[in-house]
Amino acid sequence: MFSRLVTGAAFTSLIVLAGIAIFLGVQAVSAFQTQGLDFIFSTGWDINTDPPTAGIWGMLYGSVLLAVIGLVIAVPVALMLSIFMVFIAPRKLSSVLTNLIDLLAAIPSVIIGLWAFYILNPPAEQWQQLLNQYLGWIPIFQNTSQNFSGTPFIAGLVLAIMMIPIITSISREVLSRTPPDLVNAAEALGCSLWTMLRYVALPYGRGGIVGGVMLGLGRALGETIAVFFVLKLTFETNWYHIIESGGGSIATLIVSRFGEVSGPEELNLLLAAGFFLFLGTIGVNIVANLIVNRTGRLQK
Amino acid sequence: MSTITYQAPLDPEGMVQTPQRPWRHKPRSFTMAVALAVVIPAVISAALFFFSPIPGAIVLTVIYFPLQLVASGIAAWATRGVRGIADSIIIVNAIGSTVFSVVVLLSLLGSLVVRGLRALSPHFIYQNSVFINPSTPLEYGGIGHALVGTILIVAIASLIAVPIGIATAVYITEVRGKAVPYVRFFVQAMSGVPSVVAGLFILTIAVSTGWFSQNALAGGLAYAILMLPTVARTAEEVLKLIPDELRTGALALGSTRARTVMRVVLPAAKTGIITAILLGIARVIGETAPLLLAAGNNDGTVINPFGQAIASIPVYIFNNVAVPYPDAVARAWGAALALMILIAVLFTLARVLGRGRVGRAK
Amino acid sequence: MSTAEFEEVAMMESDLISARKQAPSELRAENVSVWFGKRKVLENVNIDFPKNTVTALIGPSGCGKSTFIRTLNRLHELIPSAALAGSVLYEGKDIYSSDVDPVHIRLQIGMVFQKPNPFPSMTIRGNVLSGLKLSGMKRDNHDDIVEHTLTAAGLWTEVKERLNHAAGDLSGGQQQRLVIARALAVQPSVLLMDEPCSALDPASTLKIEETIRQLSKEVTIVIVTHNMQQAVRVADNTAFFLAQEGEPGHIVEQGLTTDIFGQPQDQRTLDYVNGRFG
Repeated sequence: MFSRLVTGAAFTSLIVLAGIAIFLGVQAVSAFQTQGLDFIFSTGWDINTDPPTAGIWGMLYGSVLLAVIGLVIAVPVALMLSIFMVFIAPRKLSSVLTNLIDLLAAIPSVIIGLWAFYILNPPAEQWQQLLNQYLGWIPIFQNTSQNFSGTPFIAGLVLAIMMIPIITSISREVLSRTPPDLVNAAEALGCSLWTMLRYVALPYGRGGIVGGVMLGLGRALGETIAVFFVLKLTFETNWYHIIESGGGSIATLIVSRFGEVSGPEELNLLLAAGFFLFLGTIGVNIVANLIVNRTGRLQK
Repeated sequence: MSTITYQAPLDPEGMVQTPQRPWRHKPRSFTMAVALAVVIPAVISAALFFFSPIPGAIVLTVIYFPLQLVASGIAAWATRGVRGIADSIIIVNAIGSTVFSVVVLLSLLGSLVVRGLRALSPHFIYQNSVFINPSTPLEYGGIGHALVGTILIVAIASLIAVPIGIATAVYITEVRGKAVPYVRFFVQAMSGVPSVVAGLFILTIAVSTGWFSQNALAGGLAYAILMLPTVARTAEEVLKLIPDELRTGALALGSTRARTVMRVVLPAAKTGIITAILLGIARVIGETAPLLLAAGNNDGTVINPFGQAIASIPVYIFNNVAVPYPDAVARAWGAALALMILIAVLFTLARVLGRGRVGRAK
Repeated sequence: MSTAEFEEVAMMESDLISARKQAPSELRAENVSVWFGKRKVLENVNIDFPKNTVTALIGPSGCGKSTFIRTLNRLHELIPSAALAGSVLYEGKDIYSSDVDPVHIRLQIGMVFQKPNPFPSMTIRGNVLSGLKLSGMKRDNHDDIVEHTLTAAGLWTEVKERLNHAAGDLSGGQQQRLVIARALAVQPSVLLMDEPCSALDPASTLKIEETIRQLSKEVTIVIVTHNMQQAVRVADNTAFFLAQEGEPGHIVEQGLTTDIFGQPQDQRTLDYVNGRFG
């Protein structure tokens, strides 16, 4: 009786995951019935046709673009930060930093969004203007409208700020578990900080760091509220003009359309979009966990 | 000769030796090089920043940073030779990244305090927002209704997620069934469910079954999905710390496995379990998207968990951010500050109870 | 302590020194005391390591032998709470003086650890050459270095066919010899060995002892060992370390290995070498 109860409870997570997949999957199927494959591969959102027509390509692509921008900023910062905490900073400073990074991780996305909207936005618009002014000849820094608000760059920057604590806490953990045996050996062979990292610590922690980066990626793909406040949602695909106003994000689409949803047909489309968001984030998360777990086992 | 006993420690001059750390005595040339490498780029950049029309962002990225890299590189090369250069690049970047992250965090916390305190007042905590417009001055209205809503929703989520989460942990550590690796795997995967998807899922159930609409129960269910993995994983760590002798001892005295778990293992892990619950609550309490979808919003105070849509602090903040009225925005900051204090208290409690043994915000 | 007593101790010490094998001193510890935080773990260690000799440091666990050899190539200072007094002279110069680069010292005075610790992400060849990469040292003819050092470590014939295999494929004894080759590749003049055979089977132990005897023609070797037979087999000189309950470790007696094991002056040395404690 007891163990049956406990076993049943233990499978709740499986049941919930399956439930999400089934319930949202059904919605996705019915979205495909009305929209066909265009639901994924076209762009646009028109609720005035009957039934409404929708294509989420720009949103799917936009989510990936924002996450990539976020990773480009977050990965070097997080890696360097964890190197600082493990190999450079005195122990006391490093434990203070650990607490600060945990605190950063604990700040809810709605507060990050609030801060980004009022505090980060004004200087970030100026930075983008400068980027455009001096590096505008590089295609990704083109901006024809001179409107620098609601760009993928700002959204990516906000995602980076949310990913930094995730990636840092995992890579800090992994790097700090570099076997002292190997570090000693490297020291005895006259290593410098750089050669020790290059030949010993980073090869050793590579798996865990990659896993941590992917966990951060999963978080970025699913992030909704913070992006909502800093990204101007547009349905045309913004392929690479990262400092041009307007971009896509599947998670943000759901929240921003939900408030003014026109009827069951549109709700169905939002739920179907949610299904793809679920598939993407869960896929990334599972791969990330497999990598982290595997390196965890190797280290024991 | 053969009975040399322990002698007082003496060095040749007959003085007692004191512990030294000679490796910390850097030659003066080293100290000078480091000082110059720190001061010169900073002074040049500060001068340009204050006395030239070049924008600060450009000074920082195009002048200060490269200058700092070059200066550190030269200092490292002069004191440690070629091999020092790579180290200096790493150290500059590592310190730069640390400063960047800390500045972001301080900016976040600082703006929360500075802007939030304007709205924070006793009535802000207990009044609700009936009759409150975005343009209503700050003397009226508050987050009382949202606080009640958040507490109700979190309580419902805890009632669902805590027993299931602990049972999951018990399955992994006590029952140790064949499916343990799979259970772990699914719990981990579940922690990757984006919060907006949790809200959507509950909403779909509501829409397709018609059992309930947007209310505290729906919000609580959505929160429970997000809370469960945190509770399960932290509780698992806690139960693993319980020594096996306790279990075998109870079993040897003829206790059943169920009684052992309920009467011995869980009580022994009490503070740890509370830590797990606190961390679970802290994990979800600021989540906005699931409540936007599943719980809705309300300007009045709602007590009935099965009734109409209900307010919550995150949704309250959400609705007051992008509003063109300074007082509404001030309310958003005030509510954000209150929420952050709540989260900080939860984490601190969890840390103190867990005494650092378990639980890192992940 | 009165001056007379002090002189007595000093004379005893000079007796011991004169008993050592006569050779120019290469590495020498003078009044070395070591602390971890407030706790003093070693006290007034005076010892000389003449060029191209093998010196064994013996004594029961916890007497500070391993801590001591880590002070000889400045690995000691990597432990945050570590402190030290006295001086370590290498070729007559204090290795702790502030103008000495610790990297230079660690390359001159190599180290082999208790547990075989080849770099798992590198091949056998990569491990041998890893010191060059880690220290940024430039040496030509990498193939010759690999062959020469692996031969010196007694491993060449066993691995010459699979230099590009992962180092983790080797047995424990082979790994330890690989680590010795790795240490030799940067051409140290002193090699410190911290219980290099304690994790190995008897056959591998014999191989390593053979290697040590061969190496001692070119390098000065300091070996920490628990195995007294090993000290007898490989060492020219032996120092006996001891730490009484609650007190820091110190050298009780040192001298020619044959003397320490044959006619020890101190009762405790006699008891220890005869296996009565430790």
